[in-house]
Amino acid sequence: MVRSRGLVVLSLVALAAFACGGNNTTTTNKGTIKIGVSLPLSGASASDGQPTLKGAEFAVNQQNAKGGIDGFQLQVVSKDYAPAGTPDPAVGKNDMLALVGDTSVLAVMGPFNSGVAKQQLPVANQASLVLVSPANTNPCLTVDLAACHFPQIGFWPSQLRPYGPNNYFRVAATDVYQGGAAADYAFTTLGLRTVGVFNDESSYGIGIAEYFAEHFCKLGGMVVGGCSATAAGGVSGIKQYDPTSTASFAAMLNSLQQGGAKGLYAGGNASLKLCVARNQSNGIFAADSAFVMGDGGVDSECIDTAAAQAKGMVGTVAAEDQSKLSADAKKMVTDFKAAMGSGPTDFGAYTVAAYAATQTIIAGLDKAIKANNGNMPSRAQVRDAMSNLPPVATPLGNVSYDKNGDTTQQIIAFYKADAKGSGSSELTCGATNTNVCWEFVSSKNYAGQTYP
Amino acid sequence: MVGALRQARSSVSSSLITRVIALLLAAVVIIKIAPSVYQFGPSYFVRIIAIGIALGAIYALIAIGYTMVYGIVELINFAHGDVFTLGAFISLPLLVTPLWHLTEGGGGGLGIVLPLIAVFLIVMLITGLINVGIERVAYRPLRNAPRLAPLITAVGVSFFLEGVMYLWKGAVNLHYPDLLPDNRFVGGTFSAKDVIVVIAAVILVSGLAIFVNQTKLGKAMRATAQDRDAARLMGINIDRTISATFFIGAVLAAAGGMTYGLYINSINNTLGFPIGLVAFTAAVFGGIGNIPGAALGGLIIGLIRAMNDGYVDPQWTDVVTFAILILVLTLRPTGLLGMRVPEK
Repeated sequence: MVRSRGLVVLSLVALAAFACGGNNTTTTNKGTIKIGVSLPLSGASASDGQPTLKGAEFAVNQQNAKGGIDGFQLQVVSKDYAPAGTPDPAVGKNDMLALVGDTSVLAVMGPFNSGVAKQQLPVANQASLVLVSPANTNPCLTVDLAACHFPQIGFWPSQLRPYGPNNYFRVAATDVYQGGAAADYAFTTLGLRTVGVFNDESSYGIGIAEYFAEHFCKLGGMVVGGCSATAAGGVSGIKQYDPTSTASFAAMLNSLQQGGAKGLYAGGNASLKLCVARNQSNGIFAADSAFVMGDGGVDSECIDTAAAQAKGMVGTVAAEDQSKLSADAKKMVTDFKAAMGSGPTDFGAYTVAAYAATQTIIAGLDKAIKANNGNMPSRAQVRDAMSNLPPVATPLGNVSYDKNGDTTQQIIAFYKADAKGSGSSELTCGATNTNVCWEFVSSKNYAGQTYP
Repeated sequence: MVGALRQARSSVSSSLITRVIALLLAAVVIIKIAPSVYQFGPSYFVRIIAIGIALGAIYALIAIGYTMVYGIVELINFAHGDVFTLGAFISLPLLVTPLWHLTEGGGGGLGIVLPLIAVFLIVMLITGLINVGIERVAYRPLRNAPRLAPLITAVGVSFFLEGVMYLWKGAVNLHYPDLLPDNRFVGGTFSAKDVIVVIAAVILVSGLAIFVNQTKLGKAMRATAQDRDAARLMGINIDRTISATFFIGAVLAAAGGMTYGLYINSINNTLGFPIGLVAFTAAVFGGIGNIPGAALGGLIIGLIRAMNDGYVDPQWTDVVTFAILILVLTLRPTGLLGMRVPEK
């Protein structure tokens, strides 16, 4: 009984709101919609977070300059989850609680780090608040894979959305596509049939090595130590080293070589000694043997630590290369630098992604406002609009989201460590090994591929 | 009387149980490894052993520093691993200076010998003096304090040294010049690098053994380790003897740091903590306070780690290392070569 009376009250309120909306369809300012931004903004993380924040601000400024959306003005509210310089998931969770508490925040651009997303997502889910990440690549945020249940990763989509439908979206290609694309590349382009696979014990490294190995085995290749599944569901042949206590990779590399490996896939980060393994493979593997990695290895530290063995390493990056950006994208970059600056804390690797993520939020808000007859939509309405968003033209291409919240632009670019200037475009060079750089090889949209 | 008997019986049965467990574990390990050893053949076995011995030689050089300091002042010097890293860091600019014309990739031939020895000596001297300074500032004022106090200052010094190296070079992995020749012998089973590392360690450890056993200062060190008060009564300058111990410990650690750099070709500012932990384990394994024990412990731990990396999975290397340590200590609480000494 009580319940039906509540319904009557609700529908009366809805009717009243409807009526007001009808009377108020002029282009005057109807109010302010806030877009939250949750990023690591201080200390050592500033070079990640600040340029990303500016990407969102640029998109919002452009929209406001055009008169806002449907009579509403937009405003960015930024929160910093790295007040001490390193990303802190606990701070990220508190920031999300604060954003949820501000009822005029209808969507959030962020976070930057997958570990923070894991904490923020359930909080935002309870409030039906939309999150659009420019940079998260951990597939377990959107897709339930066997690897998500490994103790070192330990989270999966349904667990992060306990209260309702999906409210999380992202414009970055996931590690599954990086691992899978690398397996295709190793098997087809490099013609490898037996590889050694190892990871650096980080949840990123464990995941990406697993996605590579699963797809490589599916293609008919062999991982040294076996393709069979372990009790936890992983590929049994994958080796794992402890980045703090491992000094010499020689014994592990010898065992992989002895097992018949003609090339290696290394899942992990250059900061966790990944490319030291390449350096020490000298004399064990042929100098021109393949050494393939994910984006955790594509940086200058990798080239420096691999030193004389750096040339020939191959790495994937989950973003389009500069040289292949469309004319529109190049114009956006030029306009951005003119308006916001071009220093290291102005324009960064994720500025364009943040801009595109914010564009999709604006499109979602627009759709929700129109569906609500020009009135301030509820968070649930924005969420529903985002879930069925028609493709939005962005510098990243036409972005829309699938039912999991993943982008339809799963672009993976391949880079090879080679002599400076030998490729059409280069990403970064070594800091001490300055003559070797990550040279662009090729890129492709892998959306629609079934990985792993 | 009855209580004592019961206690005796229970200690017999508990040591019997640990022995049985140890034997069972050893059997499991052998059964697990034997097929791969057979399958991969003898030349692979020799290769893994060579890697293990070379690693073990480096661990031994660090372990000796732990064991000497413990033997003489009963301090677990947690900063020792960072003194080792400091040696590698100090040698880095000295090696890349154009003065020597050293080139990477082992192309230097015999021309690298003299510059390397010169850099070794300079680095050993500098690091030794720094460690004497650390002892003077952080440990000597606490000589008569409760034993926990110098332990905590040692942890503090460890963080301090890591911080200094962080400010100096940042928190990145640094490439260390690859200067040693990499010629392969016996069908590629081991390389000149392995041999040079082992020879360097043997020279340093035997030099130390001669010093401790044959010289007057060495005798003073042994006397101080046995009974500090009696040694003082015999006219031994305790402070100078302890300073000398820290100096020699750091000299070996610095040599270990440089050898590590030349062998592994990668260093970073926090390297000393995990390596120091393994080396400390080696010192306990061989019998803390016992110099040949530390060398033996280092060698065995190096071999265990290489065997596990090569035949099982590097994921389990730390587990296996410390499981073996626990087993050895339950069977021989004083370590392999340690002797039961009365608590001072």
